[in-house]
Amino acid sequence: MRSGVFHTTYTDDASLRPTRIMQVRIVLVMIAALVFPFFADGYWLTLANTIFIASIAAIGLNILVGYTGQISIGHGGFLAVGAYTAGLLASRLEMPIWLTVPIASFAAAAVGALFGLPSARLKGLYLAIATLAAQEIIIWVINHGDLIGIGESLSLPRTSIFGVVLNRGLADFGFYWITLVCLIGTVLFTSNLFRSRVGRAFISIRDQDIAAQVIGVNVVRYKLLAFATSSFFAGMAGALTAHYRGVISWERFTIETSIFYLSAIIIGGLGSVSGAIYGAAFVTLLPAILSNLGRAANDSGLLPGITSYLPYIQQGAFGIAIILFLILEPEGIVKIWRNIKDYFRLWPFSY
Amino acid sequence: MKHNQQRRIGLANSPHGLVLLVVMALILAACGGASSGENAPAAEGEIASGEPIKIGAIFDLTGATADVGQPYSEGILAYVDWKNEQGGIDGRPLELIHDDYAYEVPRAEELYSQYVTQDEVVAFAGWGTGDTEALKETISADQVPFISASYSENLADPAETPYNFIVGTTYSDQLLIAQAWALEDWAAQGNTDTPKFAYLVNDSPFGTSPLPAGVAHAEENGLETPLEVPSPRGATDLTPQLTQIREYGANYVFLQNVSSPASLAVRNASTLGYDVQFVCLNWCANELLVTLGGEDAEGVVGAIPFAPPSTGAEGAQVVLDYAEANSIDLTGKEIPFVQGWWAMAILVEGIERTVMDGNDLTGENIKASLESLENFSTGDVTAPITFTADDHRGNKTLRMYQVTDGVWEPITDFMSAE
Repeated sequence: MRSGVFHTTYTDDASLRPTRIMQVRIVLVMIAALVFPFFADGYWLTLANTIFIASIAAIGLNILVGYTGQISIGHGGFLAVGAYTAGLLASRLEMPIWLTVPIASFAAAAVGALFGLPSARLKGLYLAIATLAAQEIIIWVINHGDLIGIGESLSLPRTSIFGVVLNRGLADFGFYWITLVCLIGTVLFTSNLFRSRVGRAFISIRDQDIAAQVIGVNVVRYKLLAFATSSFFAGMAGALTAHYRGVISWERFTIETSIFYLSAIIIGGLGSVSGAIYGAAFVTLLPAILSNLGRAANDSGLLPGITSYLPYIQQGAFGIAIILFLILEPEGIVKIWRNIKDYFRLWPFSY
Repeated sequence: MKHNQQRRIGLANSPHGLVLLVVMALILAACGGASSGENAPAAEGEIASGEPIKIGAIFDLTGATADVGQPYSEGILAYVDWKNEQGGIDGRPLELIHDDYAYEVPRAEELYSQYVTQDEVVAFAGWGTGDTEALKETISADQVPFISASYSENLADPAETPYNFIVGTTYSDQLLIAQAWALEDWAAQGNTDTPKFAYLVNDSPFGTSPLPAGVAHAEENGLETPLEVPSPRGATDLTPQLTQIREYGANYVFLQNVSSPASLAVRNASTLGYDVQFVCLNWCANELLVTLGGEDAEGVVGAIPFAPPSTGAEGAQVVLDYAEANSIDLTGKEIPFVQGWWAMAILVEGIERTVMDGNDLTGENIKASLESLENFSTGDVTAPITFTADDHRGNKTLRMYQVTDGVWEPITDFMSAE
């Protein structure tokens, strides 16, 4: 009987999904993703798009927090930079989405690197407060948009792709493919990033920054690069949000958004690409699931009147979820998933 | 630290992980049950039977504007119950599908999408300015008649937002009327120069919505450009903002905010010894301001589109009687409660007319019915409501009120911005 997975060639060792089960699983996930929109109604498509966009931003934050060990509570601000860049380009210059999203991502990356500068000197809590400043400054500039010629909210023209205008009815379906492609791109990039020189430099900074410097990693440069990469994906998520929703206002990118993403990666699993996706899905679905549960319990007569307490339950549930994860499984959903796999792999002789 | 690429074989299984897994599986299973169990019969009115008419609603019960959002939502719910007791619409009960969205735009979008696509609601009652504006394109595309507690001017043009209806006086009109009153009041006090205005507003689209119109009006009347001061969300002290306003030398401070921060401003001003005339627009001119502001709220002036029940309006009395009969305690929240009730009543009137004309309940038909409302009486709670195909501002007038001995008393007749 096999006692583990052992690699006998270098190619085998370097592959992203080395075992047969992993390969089958990823193919199944891809098929599910391709088939899903043909069976889902508007509500589920909305949820899927929201989760995909949130996943892109969460993966971006995980590059910075989970892999490089730099805390950021300014992620909402970087999303705003992306959203407003894309919004201005689309509404003023009538640029198509395949141009606005990359430009907005690079703009956010530049702003992210700028606000990452304090990380050269600051660590831990001090850095967190410095990024909080980034969040507040960006939102203040947008909120007092007269400075850069933006009103309260910015309306974008209808997005069109390959000459097809994504009107309502088509919007959720069309955006599903756009967000899916962006998410796959993000996942491929990030998964491979951490097999490269740059990615390993990020991880070395997280594990021991002084040791990293001693072995020749330019700590400041790589920290800024991590901020830029992280903000790049925040910008992408922001730009997609802007195009998807058609109207953006600063209220969407407050400090609560930053905390939303932090909790998503804590719940999903720090330092893991799939963890970021699980976390984003969990945090997005939690209120929806609770309100559907509440409605079902109310309508079926199981717990009549529960709907009037639901808002408070929802607020509490979010906090409880974070506390439970921190106590029971600090490594997040991704670890739970790994435990399940191990349980079945070793069944019935687990030890 | 973490080594995530490492594949661990034979790792001891954490029992916690499995417990959580089971809990999550249960939640997911129940979630599936929720969507399949949707056809369960709704609580039916005693008289009304037949297929329910579904209306969607989102409320702010826990967010930044919950202080007035809560009683407003109770008013809407009470109206629906009352209407069903009266036999519903042509024997069909109203079914309100609603949830709290905590004043968060993404949550509003998600609930809206669920109610419109899955529950197929025929009309929608929203709440805030930020979320209504974020939804406006979707609303137009989905053709869902939408009333909101936001009276932002940006939602009033049917060419832009054909399915948004504004049941109250727009914020811009409220501010213009309040400023016109202030100019009169200034002259009546025997002043010959011009007064100075300042705005202390909620730092959001809701707060800033009427300011461009107000500034233009002030400048037309030869006033210095009014000072705009944002009041930060969740602020516990507005002394710095008030100090700034005092240094500017404002004679009138217009508050576009909800009651809790507005009462804070009134109290802080009193502590500072700054004696200035505060003028509240709709969402802070209510009993809550008096309760929280106490003595300091005395003399505050308000632009109130929905008349306080203390004026004895017939339409308000219906609401109060219903509340009393159902032992709903309205102490300190009558104004927003009545406002929610009548806002819903206007939307439901559009639905009722569609049904009575024998038309299908489509967005287009309900829109046409609402546009046929001409001088619809709300029993003196507001001026009569009129919508037309090219004007969705239902009400363009209001009366100014002032807190006298803890009660909002009218000090003018109905005034209009034009």
